[in-house]
Amino acid sequence: MFLSRIVLRDLDSIDSPAASMASSKKLVTRDEWERKLRDVKIRKEDMNRLVMNFLVTEGFVDAADKFRVESGTQPDIDLATITDRMEVKRAVQSGNVQEAIEKINDLNPTILDTNPQLYFHLQQQKLIELIRAGKINEALEFAQEELAPRGEENQVFLEEIEKTVALLVFEDIKNCPYGELLDVSQRLKTASEVNAAILTSQSHEKDPKLPSLLKMLIWTQNQLDEKAAYPRINNFSTAALEDPAI
Amino acid sequence: MPATASGGARPEEAAASASPPSPTASYCMGTRPEELTARLAAAAGGRPVGGGGGGRGGGGGGGEEEGEHERVRTLREIKNQIIGNRTKKLQYLRLGAVPVVVAALAGPGASPAALVQAAAAAGSFACGVDDGVRAVLAAGAVAHLTRLLAHPDEKVVVDASARALRMIYQSKLAPKFDVNNNEKNMEFLLTLLNSENENVTELAANIISHSCDSTTEQLALCAAGVPQRLVNHFGGSMNLRDACLDSLTAIIRNNWEVASRFALLDHGKALRSIVALIHDRSPRTRLLACLCLIALSHASPCHFQDRQIKTKLILVLLELIEEPGHVGDDAPLALTTLIKDSVELQKQALSTNAVQKLSNHLIANSLESRRAVTILLALAELCSKLEESRSQLMSVQASTLILDALKHASVDIRVAACSCIKNISRSSKVLSAGKLSCDTFIAPLVQLLYDSSMSVQVAALGAICNIAVNLTPRKSILLQSGAVSQLVHLSKSMDPTLRLKAVWALRNIMFLLNPKDKDFILKELTLSTLSSLICDSEHFVQEQTLALVHNLVDGYVNSFNYVIGEDGMILNAISRQLNNAPAPGVCIQGMFVLANVAAGGELNKEAVMNILVPRRADRVKQSFIVNFLLSKDKQLRVATLWCVLNLIYPKCEASSVRVVRLQNAGVISQVKGMINDPCLDCKVPLCSFIY
Repeated sequence: MFLSRIVLRDLDSIDSPAASMASSKKLVTRDEWERKLRDVKIRKEDMNRLVMNFLVTEGFVDAADKFRVESGTQPDIDLATITDRMEVKRAVQSGNVQEAIEKINDLNPTILDTNPQLYFHLQQQKLIELIRAGKINEALEFAQEELAPRGEENQVFLEEIEKTVALLVFEDIKNCPYGELLDVSQRLKTASEVNAAILTSQSHEKDPKLPSLLKMLIWTQNQLDEKAAYPRINNFSTAALEDPAI
Repeated sequence: MPATASGGARPEEAAASASPPSPTASYCMGTRPEELTARLAAAAGGRPVGGGGGGRGGGGGGGEEEGEHERVRTLREIKNQIIGNRTKKLQYLRLGAVPVVVAALAGPGASPAALVQAAAAAGSFACGVDDGVRAVLAAGAVAHLTRLLAHPDEKVVVDASARALRMIYQSKLAPKFDVNNNEKNMEFLLTLLNSENENVTELAANIISHSCDSTTEQLALCAAGVPQRLVNHFGGSMNLRDACLDSLTAIIRNNWEVASRFALLDHGKALRSIVALIHDRSPRTRLLACLCLIALSHASPCHFQDRQIKTKLILVLLELIEEPGHVGDDAPLALTTLIKDSVELQKQALSTNAVQKLSNHLIANSLESRRAVTILLALAELCSKLEESRSQLMSVQASTLILDALKHASVDIRVAACSCIKNISRSSKVLSAGKLSCDTFIAPLVQLLYDSSMSVQVAALGAICNIAVNLTPRKSILLQSGAVSQLVHLSKSMDPTLRLKAVWALRNIMFLLNPKDKDFILKELTLSTLSSLICDSEHFVQEQTLALVHNLVDGYVNSFNYVIGEDGMILNAISRQLNNAPAPGVCIQGMFVLANVAAGGELNKEAVMNILVPRRADRVKQSFIVNFLLSKDKQLRVATLWCVLNLIYPKCEASSVRVVRLQNAGVISQVKGMINDPCLDCKVPLCSFIY
């Protein structure tokens, strides 16, 4: 956020009356650009905190711990809670939904009680796993006893249940209309919902800050493109400045 | 089985739970609610539990450990089954599991692990199911959990107890925590608020939000320095900060003294910290900060004159509407509260494109949510005073959407749509353009008069009332829509509000109506219904009915016959009401009716005279008309003066006889004494009287 704001302010000074009167865009050379960038001071601690925020939110507990030791940056959350959170996430990702539910309840029993949608999605995932394992009778019983009452309480849930139960009708479930429910992406979706809910319950923001900074950089470059030609960053993994096309 | 003894379970179910052949119950972990409840009750058997204990003594040391382990497992299993699952909660409730679970909190030797599981289960029973809350309260959970907050060395137990109590205090059914008459309670609350444990401080904030609803309580909390402590916690975690904002709002709401003290707290620093929070990263915090500032500005307007902050509030709230979940649902409600009754703020909202933004959101999303209801209500509020809002709402696609909302399956949406139309139809501009007074809107509105929900009927009546009054040239649309017969039907309803609004709508339809249509309405209504409505048990219904008669006899000669005819049924009813000296509004409307009747021929004038100055009058009792002339209510004086004037005008033999009668009753001298009446409206009849 810091970076993009400064770039925008610089733009104001570039955009002099003379420049806007000319039909062509203002050209900023690489030298000029790098000189301006050098004037932008970013505190090392701020950078470190951004990295720590990313590691903590994404749950890289070992990396976060090493980074803490090496950089002296304190995480804004107890690292032990990350381990718990990651265990829950891993359980969902590997299809052990019941284990995940029990772990969430041990972490904080109010999460699933106050978040009916998450609870439903976990139950739905449980049904999907039963169907995947071919436990048809068990799946039917579970759908009737556990999921049907949720559908009575909520129209949206009911539609989801219908889609999921429809999987039972098809011989080749992988290629049936709702086959995507069996995809790994469905597990990941549920896992990330769980991750977000646990983070919220721990008063932590559910998304890391770095991706939104990256989005802001892209947005700023797009804005800037309309007014100036400048050394753009196109490859975000190297962040190399590319010479402006004239 | 001890299950029946300790649980209050229904005997047949407890028996059923015992019957399945499960000889190895203690080894094979059954997970059916019946089994778990029974096992928990059995495990409690060896402990002193709420009077239900008894039978079994504890085994050896190893056995006890085994038993405790088993108990923790059972409690945890129950907890995992009920969390998030309404059906399971109800099932366990029927089995009487709650007292058994709560009893596990009471045991002096209970292990921390068991306490944590039992507290979590008790908290979950209190979430989302009213019967669950009742059961948890009845089992005495609050006292046990409160005691556990002081558990010496186990943070997990304190955390679990604080969470469970928070769940309980979320429910409206939970008892109020009295800080007003109970010093110990206040002390305890302050201890919680000062705790190092954020779960506990959050609990304290929740208790305040739940319990603080009287002025004295608010003052007591303020005097104890609670607002400052709450503000100090803003630096804590996000959830704690939100809880503190919410309880600050509860302490400030509608209390001028607390609000103004808060505004000056710490040289305004506390107030500024809340203002800063309306730009917080968390949407929920932004909303709660807005709500707190709105409460402040309503409670103490003089400390809150900064118009910029209010503009910011409007902008923030309009942005929050885009947020998912409760925040987005509640933001329009907060906006409604903010701009309610303030033309100035409504203008500001309008200048930030509020109508456009709200209606765009409605158009972009379906009507299938609570948000649609709250947005419609906010739009209704925006249209309550400003012509510009009304025409904006009518010009965009939103008017089609409101039409859809009128026919929507959800009661709340239908009510909200009616409120919108009611407020839009305050505009004579919109109405005279014919946008609302066409069949497209009238037909569904009339349909709503037959709605199964009374709140929808009331809301639809409100809209029809307003449309009718402005519909002068096109009343036939309403008359042909079948509205009249249903309005007449509703005017006989058991519910006073329905009667009031139905009569009100008829009154407005009657306004400046042509004689033929007046006859039509009266035929539907009948004179006997009309006279019983004049004598209704509620004075506001009486008043509207008399206003309806007032509009009926408004210069239309034949209609006098209705009033005088049928043995003067209507006039007798009016006479009875005026003599009973009811509410001023009833007297005013009654006198206007009499004034209009007295403007007719000799027969009319005589009929009115007989009400004002009865021939066989009890000489001792003064006629009510003299009291009316002495009334402080100027409208009543005006109505009475016009009535007297109409009686003695034009000058002829008959009218001089009436003058004498009025003179004898002391009316004329009273009128002459009013020559210097300060009310301008009285001057006109008074002047005519003199010349």
